[in-house]
Amino acid sequence: MTNASSSTKGQGSAPAFYNNPHIRAVFYQILLVAALGYFLLTIIGNTLANMEARGIKTGFDFLTTTAGFDILMSLIPYDASYTYLDTFYVGLLNTVLVSAIGIVLATIVGFIMGVAYFSPNWLIRKASVVYVETFRNIPLLLQVFFWYFAVLAALPNARNSLNLGDAFFLNIRGLYLPKPLEEPGAMVVYVAMAVAVVGTWFFVRYAKKKQDLEGTQLPTFRISLAILLGLPILATLVMGVPFHLEYPELKGFNFRGGITIIPELMALAIALTIYTGAFIAEAVRAGIQSVPKGQTEAARSIGLKDSKIMKLIIVPQAMRVIVPLLNSEYQSLVKNSTLATAIGYPDLFTVFVGTSLNQTGQAIEIVFMTIAVYFAVNMTISFCMNWFNRRVALVERK
Amino acid sequence: MTKTTTGAMGTQARVFEPSPAQPAPVTSTGAYAWLRENLFSGWLNSLVTIGVVALLMTLLPPLFNWLFFDANLSGSTQADCTGDGACWVFIKVWLQPLLYGSYPTESLWRVNLSLVLLFGTLASPFWLPKHLRNKVDIAMLLALPFIAIIILDGRLLGLDYVATDYWGGFALNLFLAAASIILGMPLGFLWALGRRSQMPMARSICVILIEFFRGTPVLALFFMGSVMLPLFFPEGTNVDKLLRVWIVLTLFMAGYMAEVYRGGFAAIPQGQYEAADALGLSFWQTTLLVILPQVIKVSMPNILATAVMLFKNTTFLMIIGIFEVLSTAQNALTNSNWLGGFSTEAYLFVAVVYWVCCFSMSSVAAHIERKLDTSHRS
Amino acid sequence: MLKKLTTAAAVLSMGIAASAQAGTLDDVKERGMLSCGVSTGLAGFSQKDEKGNWSGMDVDVCKAVAAAVLGDANKVQYKPLTAKERFTALQSGEVDMLSRNTTWTLTRDASLGLNFAGVNYYDGQGFMVSKNLGVKSALELDGAAVCIHAGTTTELNLADYFRANGMKYTAITFDTSDQTRAGFESGRCDVLTSDQSQLYAIRIGLKNPSNAVVLPEVISKEPLGPVVRQGDDAWFNVVKWSLTAMIEAEYLGLDSSNADKMVKTGSPEQQRLLGVEGDSGEKLGIGQKWAYNIVKQVGSYGESFERNVGKGSPLQISRGQNAQWNKGGLMYSNPIR
Repeated sequence: MTNASSSTKGQGSAPAFYNNPHIRAVFYQILLVAALGYFLLTIIGNTLANMEARGIKTGFDFLTTTAGFDILMSLIPYDASYTYLDTFYVGLLNTVLVSAIGIVLATIVGFIMGVAYFSPNWLIRKASVVYVETFRNIPLLLQVFFWYFAVLAALPNARNSLNLGDAFFLNIRGLYLPKPLEEPGAMVVYVAMAVAVVGTWFFVRYAKKKQDLEGTQLPTFRISLAILLGLPILATLVMGVPFHLEYPELKGFNFRGGITIIPELMALAIALTIYTGAFIAEAVRAGIQSVPKGQTEAARSIGLKDSKIMKLIIVPQAMRVIVPLLNSEYQSLVKNSTLATAIGYPDLFTVFVGTSLNQTGQAIEIVFMTIAVYFAVNMTISFCMNWFNRRVALVERK
Repeated sequence: MTKTTTGAMGTQARVFEPSPAQPAPVTSTGAYAWLRENLFSGWLNSLVTIGVVALLMTLLPPLFNWLFFDANLSGSTQADCTGDGACWVFIKVWLQPLLYGSYPTESLWRVNLSLVLLFGTLASPFWLPKHLRNKVDIAMLLALPFIAIIILDGRLLGLDYVATDYWGGFALNLFLAAASIILGMPLGFLWALGRRSQMPMARSICVILIEFFRGTPVLALFFMGSVMLPLFFPEGTNVDKLLRVWIVLTLFMAGYMAEVYRGGFAAIPQGQYEAADALGLSFWQTTLLVILPQVIKVSMPNILATAVMLFKNTTFLMIIGIFEVLSTAQNALTNSNWLGGFSTEAYLFVAVVYWVCCFSMSSVAAHIERKLDTSHRS
Repeated sequence: MLKKLTTAAAVLSMGIAASAQAGTLDDVKERGMLSCGVSTGLAGFSQKDEKGNWSGMDVDVCKAVAAAVLGDANKVQYKPLTAKERFTALQSGEVDMLSRNTTWTLTRDASLGLNFAGVNYYDGQGFMVSKNLGVKSALELDGAAVCIHAGTTTELNLADYFRANGMKYTAITFDTSDQTRAGFESGRCDVLTSDQSQLYAIRIGLKNPSNAVVLPEVISKEPLGPVVRQGDDAWFNVVKWSLTAMIEAEYLGLDSSNADKMVKTGSPEQQRLLGVEGDSGEKLGIGQKWAYNIVKQVGSYGESFERNVGKGSPLQISRGQNAQWNKGGLMYSNPIR
């Protein structure tokens, strides 16, 4: 019926060309692309016409002009004489910083609160539920306001700082820490740290191999810890402590010297941690609940300790549910960090889409550069988590 | 205990009668046991319990004092707030703007009517006769945003015209969220279908759309809606800001929904497609009558979670100057007659209103999840 | 039926409207409504009360134009705009005019396709410090933490000023004046900087206003005024002269309470402004009683000032630069004749 000769016989002929699904598919796609192309061309045409009529310049020339405004916090050298491109880098680094802090802390808080749901203590169980249900259901913007304007604003002023051993100060202006300054010989310590990390990695591999081959278990955790801490400390002592600390001091209006953690950063990091932590706790709870009870019972019946059951049986299986959820929570944390703009933490959004856009009016270039950054950051997170997910998935032996 | 009875034959039989059960030890029943088991099962637990209770004891009394006992409720100006506690007068005076924006008082019934329609439609599965549900529900839901616009706008019905600049308050958050969710769901389904499609061009376009709207911070999207979208329209045309925001929110929702549906599609067994093919259903019949209902059912908890997220995100509209509830609160805080710094009261009010709404939605989601959970766990 | 269908289409397309760019004046008359871009909330300049009524210095300019063109100061549709979208909204025709504390600068006037129609408030950036800091001059602020109420030029002026005087500072930028106040009050910063008009509003909001002092230095010139699209001279003239009429009314001693009396008994100058003599309205293409409507319904500039930011308001700002030219201020109205 499908060959060419039979089609001439009238009956049972091949479908007309317009009923051929392949031809149809091509036709539909051409239609779709044409419509989309027309749409895009119209938009671009309109935009260019509008911008010309309004005297808006296009292009990225503005990036090389002097910005002329100061930024509250910068991880790289910056002042008002730097260019708009530098404001972009400053904002970018601040975004990455608050996101990284948020991700680490939210994971810790989330896991603790998620596990707390299974605590034998009734109060702790309820606390976990109350925490999740409260912070998950209030808009993040309000929580950011709460931490910044209600909690951190209640800290004392600079003269009445909370003081810990004249080295750590906490006041409304931020948290002041002593800053280690290098002396000659510090390089040796850094090398020792690197060696320790690499050494630990090799040791863990060796221990695992040994266990697979001989069944003997080495105290991996303790030995790793010993290497990681011991080697740098040893190096420091041998070199005669090649560091000295710069202590923050109250001079004039403010503390000078040391490291300052500004309250905007603290408020945003706390808000992101607590908010995302609630979602992660929920994910952890779902993950642990997804492990059938039979697994625990079976593990008990072969005589495993409770701590071992958690580590070897429950967590690896729960992780398969948790990790994909973590991936999306981390990504939304990064996107939510744009709320910095509400309290003036100088992240990419505040600095670049806020002040720089206000000064230059280059809306299209700036918004697209910013979106590209968030895409890149989220792609990186997604990539790492997928890699991690594959590793976790391998735990399952078939 | 045994009892001796004399039988009819005069024989004696010893019948065993169990002694009444002893009451369980005090330590294992009632409140005492509950306390012991749940709060003081070990020294660590006892310590934690005492710590938590002590914390609550120190935190709660001042909080309650501020919230209730020292709070001011009577009066209508800033001067009436004399006590140390919260100034609820502020909320009382500004309640109408916070809930309805500056919609004219005599026309408020239109907002309320729209809200009733919204909740009536959402609750329709409970009161509509079963045979009507499938046909009427979806049509009602899809028509709802437009009906609400007609009622609120008023021109078509011969009512007073109320321009979108007067719409606002918490009602606007509800309407914007509902309208974007209702339109975003079918659009997202279309994108999800496109992503599964065999046509390479259609697939890549859908993937780009989905990833763009999922990967961009919603704040950036709002900025695009407020600053960039006007540049996209031909010169001399202007599009209402609220409409621009609605478009942006709908596309945002569609991106997230497409991702939710993707998980739903993955849960549909291949047999369903094959069975539909065997019945000779066309592609659209298969998709809409066989696959779509199952996808929606499977992804219902995630759909609701996404809806809650979108609803919370409507507060970000404050940053681009739309008078939703949070920016109404901010506006009240900058009013020259209320410059006393009532931000705590204002934000607390908004937080509580939001919490009630989101918590109910989350609870419904959890309920549905439990109901749909047919696996045999625990 | 056809008419109903058209309305239906109009409603459903919810405000996708093509506005003719040629004659804003005719558009406004035909619509019977003035669309005026204002700030989303700025004490004394444009604020919404709990009933949804707008008031303020900037709002009064909108009202004056509506009174002049439409004869009714209430026929204004206020469009709250953020700083970023204000010019776009004006350029795209979303609003007929902008009265949103916008500083008149060369760049804006020359390159954005806009025209400034006058100045309704002479402002300048200033500083406020806590009294117990003992600072008397802005030059003693080296090393201070500065709370900034984010504007568009505020950050730049501040950076310029500190750099010019060889001082260092930490900048903490807030989005709204309420947040700036909260930051200052909690002690996050030593100094608060903002346009002077807002400094007073922020100071009122402090728990203890007498604890804060406004420093004498004014580090920038901020002439604020209404803006219209370039290339529409008839409309430009209407807005320009509506504002002028308010200032002129004060100079001539007219206000909303005596306007009716002066129509009959006023001096020739007063009567000319009120439209009894001359044909000023005809030349502008609006009704002969345009200025009378402004004075009667909105009031003179002085009335507007005292009502919104001066003695009649909680802000208590003194006239200063905004007094009439013959009283030591800068308010000078070109003659209406």
